[in-house]
Amino acid sequence: MNVRTSSARNSSARGNPTNSRSSRRRTVFTIFVLFAVISVFLVRLVDIQVVQADSLTADSVGNRSVGQTVYGSRGEILDANGVVLAGTVMRYNITMSPVNATPFDRTVDGENVEVSVADAAAEIGAATGQSGDAILSTISTALEANAKSNFAYIAQQVDVDVLRAVQALRIPWTYSENSPSRVYPNGAVAGNLLGFLSGEGVPQAGLESGQDACLASVNGSETYEKGADGVRIPGSSVTNTVAVDGGDVITTIDSDLQWFVQQTLATRAQETGAAWATAVVQDAETGKLLAVADYPSVDPNNVGGTEPEDRGSRAFTQSFEPGSTLKALTAASVLDAGVATLETGVVAPYRYLPANGANINDSHSHPDERMTLTGVLIDSSNTGMSKFGELLTDQQRYDYLSAFGLGEPTETGFPREDSGILHPADEWDNQTSYATMFGQGLTTTALQVASVYQTIANDGVRMPVQLVEGCRLPDGTMTNVPTATGTQVLSEQAANETSDILEMVYQKSWVSSVWNIPGYRVAAKTGTAQMPDGEGGYSNGYLVSVSGFAPADDPQYVVSVSIADPVKLNTSGAPAPVFQEIMSQVLKKYRTVPSGATAPDLPSTW
Amino acid sequence: MSDNLARVSLPIDSEPFDSPAPAHRGFRLVAPAPSRRARPRIFYALTAVAGVSAIVVAQLLLSVGISQGAYEISSLQSSQSQLARTAASVSEDLARVSSPQSLAANAEGLGMISNSNPVYLRLSDGAVLGAPASASGAQSGAASLVPNALLTGSTLLTQQTNDVAATAGALAISSAAVVPPGLAAPTTR
Repeated sequence: MNVRTSSARNSSARGNPTNSRSSRRRTVFTIFVLFAVISVFLVRLVDIQVVQADSLTADSVGNRSVGQTVYGSRGEILDANGVVLAGTVMRYNITMSPVNATPFDRTVDGENVEVSVADAAAEIGAATGQSGDAILSTISTALEANAKSNFAYIAQQVDVDVLRAVQALRIPWTYSENSPSRVYPNGAVAGNLLGFLSGEGVPQAGLESGQDACLASVNGSETYEKGADGVRIPGSSVTNTVAVDGGDVITTIDSDLQWFVQQTLATRAQETGAAWATAVVQDAETGKLLAVADYPSVDPNNVGGTEPEDRGSRAFTQSFEPGSTLKALTAASVLDAGVATLETGVVAPYRYLPANGANINDSHSHPDERMTLTGVLIDSSNTGMSKFGELLTDQQRYDYLSAFGLGEPTETGFPREDSGILHPADEWDNQTSYATMFGQGLTTTALQVASVYQTIANDGVRMPVQLVEGCRLPDGTMTNVPTATGTQVLSEQAANETSDILEMVYQKSWVSSVWNIPGYRVAAKTGTAQMPDGEGGYSNGYLVSVSGFAPADDPQYVVSVSIADPVKLNTSGAPAPVFQEIMSQVLKKYRTVPSGATAPDLPSTW
Repeated sequence: MSDNLARVSLPIDSEPFDSPAPAHRGFRLVAPAPSRRARPRIFYALTAVAGVSAIVVAQLLLSVGISQGAYEISSLQSSQSQLARTAASVSEDLARVSSPQSLAANAEGLGMISNSNPVYLRLSDGAVLGAPASASGAQSGAASLVPNALLTGSTLLTQQTNDVAATAGALAISSAAVVPPGLAAPTTR
């Protein structure tokens, strides 16, 4: 029996309207208030998402995450010993937010000092080397273009010391960003080979351009969040794509030797008033280039300091008629084909008029001389060479010239390399047919001449000319390593006999006192070639050259020096001292011990 | 009423429904004992609140400790990047000073002469290979013809150690190579 609840039931049974109605009212009231609040939110939601969506999105751009480039670093170019020839360094751009460029407070000696924009600009300018007015004008220019401009450069490509000086000022509206830059620590050493980058970082010449596939890096990106005043929120960086560094290019060049060769060549070229000059040092057994020097040459740190036509490497790009140095090639071809021996003799007149109508004469008038092949090269007699050369057919001599690498660019892959001109044998006219025997009527580059002597020095095996060892990727693997298989162009005997002839030339030549390297057996040949005047004939200028190798009994190094139009000394006496100094330095640097053996003595007359 | 239903007429003085129960029924109102039951409730409540606040305080302290560590990490990272920048800047200076132009200029400033006449001494029998001759000094005194724009404004070591004001502009070599007189011959064993 529910006694206590009866009162309640009774009151409801009697229908106490106040209690039940009030509770129902409370319920209804509560529900009403709830719906009112929900509808307020609903209206606000619709308002933001639908009505004001576009304008709010526009306002929020820039308040969201900011993307930033993460720079990969460009690969370095190294010499054979790991010396950095071209490296990437980090420089910094000082930037600012013009719209936020307002006076700010700074605590100095415990007091709050207000720093005006002009004072701040003067302080920044003292650090970056600009005037305060220049910075103020940058601010005003930026604000004129865009009243809400949030970005302008104060200074670009400054180094760490300037950056720290600016950061120490603690001016709230200045920032910095990374900006990688290229530096060439050795200046003009190998500048002709390295090339340089444009202001925007685009490779312009040389190895920077030719090896760009190896050197180029890929930038990554990351996003971060920043506050309303532009300050980056720490810890909010997210890496979107990883930056990929470029690979290093390892060259075969020795930077110390390159410097020495460039210095020696430049000194002599200025003494003789030359238009340009090149010097090549090549390893005789491997074909690797140890030094390739040009005069004039560019300092990649200061490209504007050199004329545009001097900013490349004429050793690769400038072909010329080599002249008498190519007589060694003709002699080697004759010996290899077996049509003559070291004892074969000819009579060399001053002027020779062969049957086909050509006209060949020697450089100085002389009576008829009885010369062996050795004598022809010692005296550098064109007529004597013609009499030996005509023992081979044109096609045979063309085949030898091609096998030695003439008419084709070398294997280095240098940008804009000249292949030289070698016309097919059936296109040779009567004069050209003889002229090619002594290095005229065809053109070569300095590297092709060096390669000819490398073949003779290396027992007749021509090695590919090599400038780059390979591309070393960031993980250490080497790629793009050039092949190193040689081709047998001459028999070993023919090459050795030619080497002996060249030793005799070195001993007996008219410049023998100038290019003498005491204690060593050296083989070398001079050359004096007329330079074309650009209109089909020859000018008065000569291209004088000396090419040779040492030690002659076991050749290690080939040196080839060419000087174009040395107006003050128009003979091969100009490059001879350069050859002597470079070869001495090479033999000393690589500790090549003289064997002490005596040179052969070949007859030059019969 | 004329029907055949049996009726029982209640006595007048019968009890109405809502009169209190008679004592013999055994019902009695027992008042609750608030003091005995209320104390455990408050005790449990206080315990629960104390426990929750202890957890909250502990979490606060832990997060403070973690944030402290995060601040330390951030400052160490920033000092690491500063040191890396310093190291890179110093390596750059080293590479520049190691360049051949700088080395040659400093060597000539110290009075050295380059020699391109190699002669070898074979230690096994004391034989001299090559033709000895005194250095001709052909390379000395010439300003470097292979320039290095990075060296403009830098000074030679001899000038630095002599505390002479550096010549402004290009790296210059003193025209007269100074060789200190009376150099003692090195003692060899």
